[in-house]
Amino acid sequence: MAVHPQVALLLQATLYELKKVTAWRMGFFVREIARALLRPLLTIFMFQAVFAAQGATELGGRDLDGTVRYLIAVAWIEGLIFHDRMLDLAEQIFQGYVTKYLVMPMRCFTLALARYVQFSITQTGVAALLGIGGALLLPGVWPLPVAPEALLAALVLALAGSYCFLLLYFLLNSIAFWLEVVWTLLVMTRFVTMFLAGVMLPLSWMPEPLARALEYGFPYWSIAGPAEILLGERPVSDVWTGLAVIGVSITVLEPLRRVVWKRGLARYGGSGM
Amino acid sequence: MTSRAEHSGKAPVGQPVLRCQGLQKVFQTHRRDPGMRGLLRSFVARETIEVPALRGIDLSIEAGEFVGLIGANGAGKTTLVKVLTGIVPATQGRSELFGEPSFELSDAAKSRLSIVMGQRSQLWWDLAPLDSFLLLREIYRVEKSDFDLRLEQLARRLAVTEQLRIPLRHLSLGQRMRMEILGAFLHRPQLVFLDEPTIGLDLVSREEIRTILSEINREQGATIVLSSHDMEDIENTCRRLLILSEGRLLYDGDLVKLRERLFEKRAIELHLEPHAAEPDPAVLAELCGADVQLLRSSAGALSFAVPAARVQPFLAQVFARLAVRDLAIERTPLDVLVRELFQREGEG
Repeated sequence: MAVHPQVALLLQATLYELKKVTAWRMGFFVREIARALLRPLLTIFMFQAVFAAQGATELGGRDLDGTVRYLIAVAWIEGLIFHDRMLDLAEQIFQGYVTKYLVMPMRCFTLALARYVQFSITQTGVAALLGIGGALLLPGVWPLPVAPEALLAALVLALAGSYCFLLLYFLLNSIAFWLEVVWTLLVMTRFVTMFLAGVMLPLSWMPEPLARALEYGFPYWSIAGPAEILLGERPVSDVWTGLAVIGVSITVLEPLRRVVWKRGLARYGGSGM
Repeated sequence: MTSRAEHSGKAPVGQPVLRCQGLQKVFQTHRRDPGMRGLLRSFVARETIEVPALRGIDLSIEAGEFVGLIGANGAGKTTLVKVLTGIVPATQGRSELFGEPSFELSDAAKSRLSIVMGQRSQLWWDLAPLDSFLLLREIYRVEKSDFDLRLEQLARRLAVTEQLRIPLRHLSLGQRMRMEILGAFLHRPQLVFLDEPTIGLDLVSREEIRTILSEINREQGATIVLSSHDMEDIENTCRRLLILSEGRLLYDGDLVKLRERLFEKRAIELHLEPHAAEPDPAVLAELCGADVQLLRSSAGALSFAVPAARVQPFLAQVFARLAVRDLAIERTPLDVLVRELFQREGEG
């Protein structure tokens, strides 16, 4: 059966991206593996310190072990979320490297999509290794999924949410056609979205109305929501609510991304060529 | 070679593949005055200025042509290529490639197009060129069997078969440029823009690349537009020449005719003996005569533009009248050529 040309291109571009990230072995280890290890480990020490400083036995409805388990789950899932540094589109626009793609019979977004697929494949593999290693080395601390369905639901939500982040970062990178502050915007966006996703602090520590409001955003359903399903704090059936929120977000972000890209192209000066 | 997209085979010779009329491009930029006052002024009320890069270009290029595009830095060469290929939109005027507006090219039209930018690599630095070519194969939808055959032929012709699986960063500049050219011709484009493809290359590599481009143009009928500062690139490959100056098309015509008019001059640079007296103006006037032009005169050095046929008697005259320590003979430099064209246009 013949593969659709766009799918064939996506597969080849994904392979190309995989080769790129593995071209430097040490870089691959530091970027893809060490980064995934660091956050869960730091979380354990940081929240032990928070609880010790507060002299508390429970914060936001979770004891220390529960909080650490939740935050490790969050850090574990966050590893699957498309990162702002994965796209160098703004730099390509500034430096003029994007020019070569503009004369090719393809959509530039296909290459970004390939990077998303490559990232998802790599990080799912890393997360699987981390999960097995964590469960073996840190029994009792490492968050174990309550059921295989919960693990699957968390994975689906995280990967779908990750796609929303790809769209968001692509959109922000496209602003490079107008402004030179894309890097600052990306850092600000990352900071805000990670706060909204419950990565910095458990959402249960926040005021009830705010925590409820955040449940209508895709950041929550990309990271905190899947973590709660994984740990059994939410029923697996909530995956549908999460997918609906993510679906609405994609419906908004996708046309916005296209419009900004198209308008940006009309302003492009092809510098550096 | 055939491909899944509708871009195989030659374009019908004699039909225009590229056409533009009244093409103008104006870039906007901001003027910033120096000093603290300028800083504050530009921060509060920035002054926007318009820089015209193209000022009404009319052009038509037919299938199978090999066209040279020259001009001094800032003349508008790269902007013209960018507008023609749809990388940037024109401010005014019309530009078409394969009968489609340049800025709204369909994928089918893009499949027939290729660009090589001498200063911007198309290939990925950390990967072997073959990986980049495989991606290009999918982008241009080239059948595997055709791709393999084409790759083998081009790699052999460009003498880079052994380097296909070596990361690009480990290749020499010449090998990298050959890979760029290989990538540009893999999908058998009908129109290829090459921007400074020989920049930084040694003499042998430059000569080889010129030969290959000429062969591809001749054998496959690919239309080639070559932009270069190297006059030898142009002279050895192109039949038609476009000269741009300050965004205007100063010359569009046969290279051979232009060579007859202008290239038959030589730039002769003389270095005089260090302690010799300054040349007498009367002697210089006598050397110049009707068809020899004094281009530059500085301490101990003189530069003349001399018709090629008159080089020998001119030098005999020079040695008889001046204390020459060293000399260099070159073809007329581009800037002299453009200046002379300007003068002729002004006179005409």
